[in-house]
Amino acid sequence: MASKATKQAAATSAQALDKARLLHMYEQMTTIRQFEERASKEFASGKVPGFVHLYAGEEAVAVGVCAHLTDDDYITSHHRGHGHCIAKGVEVDSMVAELLGRETGACRGKGGSMHIADVDKGMLGANGIVGGGFPLATGAALTAKHNKRGQVAVCFFGDGAANQGTFHESLNLAGIWKLPVVFVAENNGYAESTPVTYHMSCRDIADRAAGYNMPGVTVDGLDVFAVYEAAGEAIARARRGEGPSLVECKTYRYYGHFEGDPLTYRTKQEVDSFRARDPIQKLRQSMLARGMATAEELGTIDRNVADRIDDAWRLAQEAPLPAPEETLTDVYVSYR
Amino acid sequence: MPAPLVGIIANPASGRDIRRLAAHGAVVFDNNEKAAIVRRMLFGLEAAGVTEVLYMPERDFGIVPRALDGQDLQLAVSPLEMPVLGVSADSTHAASLLAERGAGCILTLGGDGTNRAVAKGCGAAPLIPISTGTNNVFPTFLEGTIAGLAAGFVAKFGASEQTVRRAPRLEVRVSDGPVESALVDVAISSLPFVGARALWDLSVVREVVLARVAPAAIGLSALGGALLDGAAGEVNEATGMHITLGPGGRQALAALAPGLVQWVEVTAYRRLEPGAAVSFQPGAGTVALDGEREIELAADSRVEVRLGLDGPFVVDVPATLAAAARAGHLQRTVADDVAAG
Repeated sequence: MASKATKQAAATSAQALDKARLLHMYEQMTTIRQFEERASKEFASGKVPGFVHLYAGEEAVAVGVCAHLTDDDYITSHHRGHGHCIAKGVEVDSMVAELLGRETGACRGKGGSMHIADVDKGMLGANGIVGGGFPLATGAALTAKHNKRGQVAVCFFGDGAANQGTFHESLNLAGIWKLPVVFVAENNGYAESTPVTYHMSCRDIADRAAGYNMPGVTVDGLDVFAVYEAAGEAIARARRGEGPSLVECKTYRYYGHFEGDPLTYRTKQEVDSFRARDPIQKLRQSMLARGMATAEELGTIDRNVADRIDDAWRLAQEAPLPAPEETLTDVYVSYR
Repeated sequence: MPAPLVGIIANPASGRDIRRLAAHGAVVFDNNEKAAIVRRMLFGLEAAGVTEVLYMPERDFGIVPRALDGQDLQLAVSPLEMPVLGVSADSTHAASLLAERGAGCILTLGGDGTNRAVAKGCGAAPLIPISTGTNNVFPTFLEGTIAGLAAGFVAKFGASEQTVRRAPRLEVRVSDGPVESALVDVAISSLPFVGARALWDLSVVREVVLARVAPAAIGLSALGGALLDGAAGEVNEATGMHITLGPGGRQALAALAPGLVQWVEVTAYRRLEPGAAVSFQPGAGTVALDGEREIELAADSRVEVRLGLDGPFVVDVPATLAAAARAGHLQRTVADDVAAG
């Protein structure tokens, strides 16, 4: 007789990924990459107000995790949030419009890059405060526990945020209340410009799970299959009511901490070594090698994604800015 | 007699794989604890008379430098001069450098995977493998101080048939690819990707080849122990086992991962003599070495697994310490004036 844990394993392992699901994951990862490459270009031209923090290189994490979620599940994100939005199903049109501060944006143009949210999709918000997502995800998980619909909350965070007080407070609460939340660490090696080897007292964020009575695992965040399997186990565990988990994904960001970052803290050799392990190319090669896609099919996806992003930028630039009289609407406090 | 040299290869990446979620693996085996184990090893080594230790450098945590930090040790501890790539090949490279330098013993901290990498390079240097992985068969849980003492005595006075045994090894060849090896087991699974590596769900496993049959093992090796009956031979025989999984009227109760005990359907099984080989053409899937998926198979891949008795030499720690005691290395006569003082 198979145990409870093993019954779940087959459903969450990479074996469950058929061609349609793999093509969808490839499309999402490609969308994130092209979205960020375009955002970099447009930011450099001065069209984008505020700051942008780009997710390129880390696509396997958002997509590998969100492949297990529905619109009824919650996620919280951080300042590098575009990838999480796309993986959770937020429309690219509304994201580009939000970057440009247009009325058609996901938050009516009042959030910008660091505050994109879409509650209908379960995307509770990017967040400009480092470590700001932990209490939100923990609270959402408390809601999920009370709703009793098998919902899960996922909190994406970086290695720098793992040193914030909110990390420890939230993991403790999640541990003692046995909440259905998965904390997904995107350890890209740097908190802004400070290497993780300098800023953290342990090597792996997963080590910290032990202090909060939850399992902690570390996986290759450049491998979408590894992320998919680990996240699948953690999410299935949360849905079964077995409590929170910490999944650490070792990853890398191709761009700087923010656009304009002079990147004096890492070498070209280091960047090249990670680009040689590119997560999208790895997925592409795996699918081609196993006959699960043809180069023509993947090429069509690449072109369709490019067209979609072109359209999104065109539409956003044609859209109006919010009217001055809308300044005090869509905020938490009523000023009227 | 040359000064006794001991090597340390401590893997900072072991001990946090997916079996913590899928089964009930230890919460985590953190690197600060690994540093504490190494510190205890160093005190044991120094007490045994070792004067030089070389270790594998790693850029992630610095297990050995942290072990040394603030300690009053007289023995010289230095990193091997080698590039640090942050991959398992670092362990192989470090082991080969230690073998070239004539290390009398190599202490390893890690799991089956770490030791598989070390075994590729260590040659005749005997190992003391300490488990810091998730579920291991090759390395065992061992107090660092005791391991350090035993490593010191082996390095200083040499090994003997009583204190060192040679482990078996499974040689694995996939089609025309490079020869790989496993120290414990090889499994053929239908999982199409390497993914999170660990293998714990036997519904996706078709064939298992064991380097040895150990009744108290955890993981795929536990199957061999469960199938030890009159027909399968005795525990202490230096033979492996080939097991085909699937319906066949027989089930074996096996501890497949920490806290995960299952009845597993077995179609057929047989003991493997040294030198014997088994071949498969399993179709698309993966080959797992020592419990971790390592090689992705194409539909037409051929897999051959051969059992050899040419694995690494492993120190029998209790036998080593007993031999050291019998040889008088653990005792001394106290002079009258010292005893009186």
